[in-house]
Amino acid sequence: MKLGSPPPPMSSGDPLRPPPPCPHLAGYRSNAHGLSKPFRSLQRCLRARPPGRAEIRRDPHEIPRCGPCSPSPSSRLYACLACAAVSCPSHAPAHAAARPGHEIAVDVDRAELFCCACRDQVYDRDFDAAVVLAQNIPSSSSASPPSGCLRKRRRVDYRPWTPGPVERAVVGKGSSPLPFPGGSELPQGLRGLNNLGNTCFMNSVLQALLHTPPLRNYFLSDRHNRYVCQQNGRKKRGGNADGGESRVCLACDLDAMYSAVFSDERLPYSPARFLYSWWQHASNLASYEQQDAHEFFISMLDGIHEKVDEHKPASPGNEECCIAHRVFSGILRSDVTCTICGFTSTTYDPCVDISLDLDSNHSSIKVASSKSHASNGETQSISGSQNFDISTLRGCLERFTRPERLGSDQKFFCQHCQVRQESLKQMSIRKLPLVTCFHIKRFEHSSIRKMSRKVDRYLQFPFSLDMAPYSSSSILRSRFGNRMFAFDGDESDESTEFASEFELFAVVTHSGKLDAGHYVTFLRLNNLWYKCDDAWITHVSENIVRASQAYMLFYVQKKLYYKASEHVAPS
Amino acid sequence: MSDGKDGSSSSHSQLSIRCFHELLDSIIADVASECHRVARLGLDRGLDEEEEELRLSEEARASAADPSSSGEVGCKYVVDIFGQTHPAVADEIFECMNCGRPIMAGRFAPHLEKCMGKGRKARQRTTRSSAITRSRNSRGSPVSVYAPYSNSTNSARVPNGTTGGAGEEFSDCAFEAP
Repeated sequence: MKLGSPPPPMSSGDPLRPPPPCPHLAGYRSNAHGLSKPFRSLQRCLRARPPGRAEIRRDPHEIPRCGPCSPSPSSRLYACLACAAVSCPSHAPAHAAARPGHEIAVDVDRAELFCCACRDQVYDRDFDAAVVLAQNIPSSSSASPPSGCLRKRRRVDYRPWTPGPVERAVVGKGSSPLPFPGGSELPQGLRGLNNLGNTCFMNSVLQALLHTPPLRNYFLSDRHNRYVCQQNGRKKRGGNADGGESRVCLACDLDAMYSAVFSDERLPYSPARFLYSWWQHASNLASYEQQDAHEFFISMLDGIHEKVDEHKPASPGNEECCIAHRVFSGILRSDVTCTICGFTSTTYDPCVDISLDLDSNHSSIKVASSKSHASNGETQSISGSQNFDISTLRGCLERFTRPERLGSDQKFFCQHCQVRQESLKQMSIRKLPLVTCFHIKRFEHSSIRKMSRKVDRYLQFPFSLDMAPYSSSSILRSRFGNRMFAFDGDESDESTEFASEFELFAVVTHSGKLDAGHYVTFLRLNNLWYKCDDAWITHVSENIVRASQAYMLFYVQKKLYYKASEHVAPS
Repeated sequence: MSDGKDGSSSSHSQLSIRCFHELLDSIIADVASECHRVARLGLDRGLDEEEEELRLSEEARASAADPSSSGEVGCKYVVDIFGQTHPAVADEIFECMNCGRPIMAGRFAPHLEKCMGKGRKARQRTTRSSAITRSRNSRGSPVSVYAPYSNSTNSARVPNGTTGGAGEEFSDCAFEAP
């Protein structure tokens, strides 16, 4: 598009903030009266084409032609905003040079602004807004996002605090300091879990949950006190304080586990009580055999949800029902678009994790930018080019949020057309949870062929992940040509500034065959990696983790992630 | 036009070639315009980090494949970060919360399965006929050669370090063949 001149200053990357305008665009805007005026004349001419595309036509049947070129046709035509003269790229600069104030034109087929003096495409937020609003695609939400969970999390201003003398006295009387373990550089909360007999599927998930920051904080700050909970249960069952067996509460058993694991005891812990409780909760899974770790994860969250507070209503998407949902619950948005008229039907569904298909064919990685360096005459391609064949987490997420054409046997009833039409379906993440758990679907079961198989294919995953491109606002924005406009889900205050950036803290891996395999968890503590293999906790290098076969990946919002901190001496 | 005289057919094919080129130019301009917008609005900021992660992943896999590197040991008989070693079958003994008997940790799950009357073995004992017709749909098929637990209560007293007679049942969870 543009040769020679130095590039303009980079944009901030905020999709709602435009890059600084060139002097000609700035001049055009200031000459027009007010901010809405500049593109008012254009709004009448904006015609929407298939969803997301717009063009400029003065009347529907107009065929634009470049004046100087005419009658020869030319491609890529620009209409001057000042006088509506249409020119091709070779004649446009001359038109602008001869007439000051006529520098800004619009690409008639793409509805993009062009500065003929700078010879470059330029961008303006009001123009983008006009384009988006002109499209006016009819749509409906069969269910708007449940308002309870979209309410902004209450923000409290940060105030530094130190305990006063009274608080110190209370803490001193009611607690005893944990001696730092020998070799005080070891982090707290590392403790092996005994294998009770094919229970590595359970141990691996437990290790990840024991170090899930918001969950760990909840239990370590005594928000679910098992003694109080059991006592309340006994009271509810009728008065007899010491009668009968204690009722099953997975959260209580988890509380006991946190206390045990974060104590100074280093011998492995046996989660027997937890297994007993879980088998009572999930009786269909209660058998001595290797199970699926992901199935256990779902079952366990369900168990915590059920037992923590039976009074709170479990409405979908309402994250206030229990700590499990407050930590893991997100909302997925599903759009089904009629390919004939563009009518879009939107539904929202809560989720506690995201299950991703592992592509078994070829590359799921885009060819990255053409950042090749010419050295000694030969092009040294980026290392990514050799990775054409590997699957990546981002690739899976891109596939997850890609528009999918529903088959002709799955025609969707379009409310606008009032008939079944071929449709496009597209998923996006409306609300990101505090902790995102990705489940890689490595186990395929075919009930038809009565066999199952495991997909061993390697999956690359990053240690830092920005989920913004998969959010509903980004997906919608890309559907409308990446215009600068506040789409569903856009929140432009500082509380969301890093809300889409996540850090990896736990990886559950599976090795071996489908029916004779082993689960191991890697934990990231103080930026060091530890391998949790049942009772054995060892230190491993980053490389081991990166090269492992990921089955479940746990990412936490960056603002909740504690990086390596300085060693604090006990006071 | 469709009569196939040489003159008209060549201008016909010229026309279709021009048409094709116009379409191609238009598509190329579409992609260029979209990429320009993405780059100028800064929507592709994460590319550097992505490339870096890919490079690190490649290095990691190369180093893991290298047999000379002191990578992780597949076997469990290692010393953990606290300097401890552990037997292959966990030998901590505690009381079963269902029946009160002392059970060895590594045998707890199979014991509990029978103790609670759950699981396939327990069910099979009661409904022998249905066990034959039932189709299996379990991913984690246990090694089915393990001996029946008729002596499960006595096996709790197996001294440390020995695996007893039912050692092979833990093979799918203890360690796998490399």
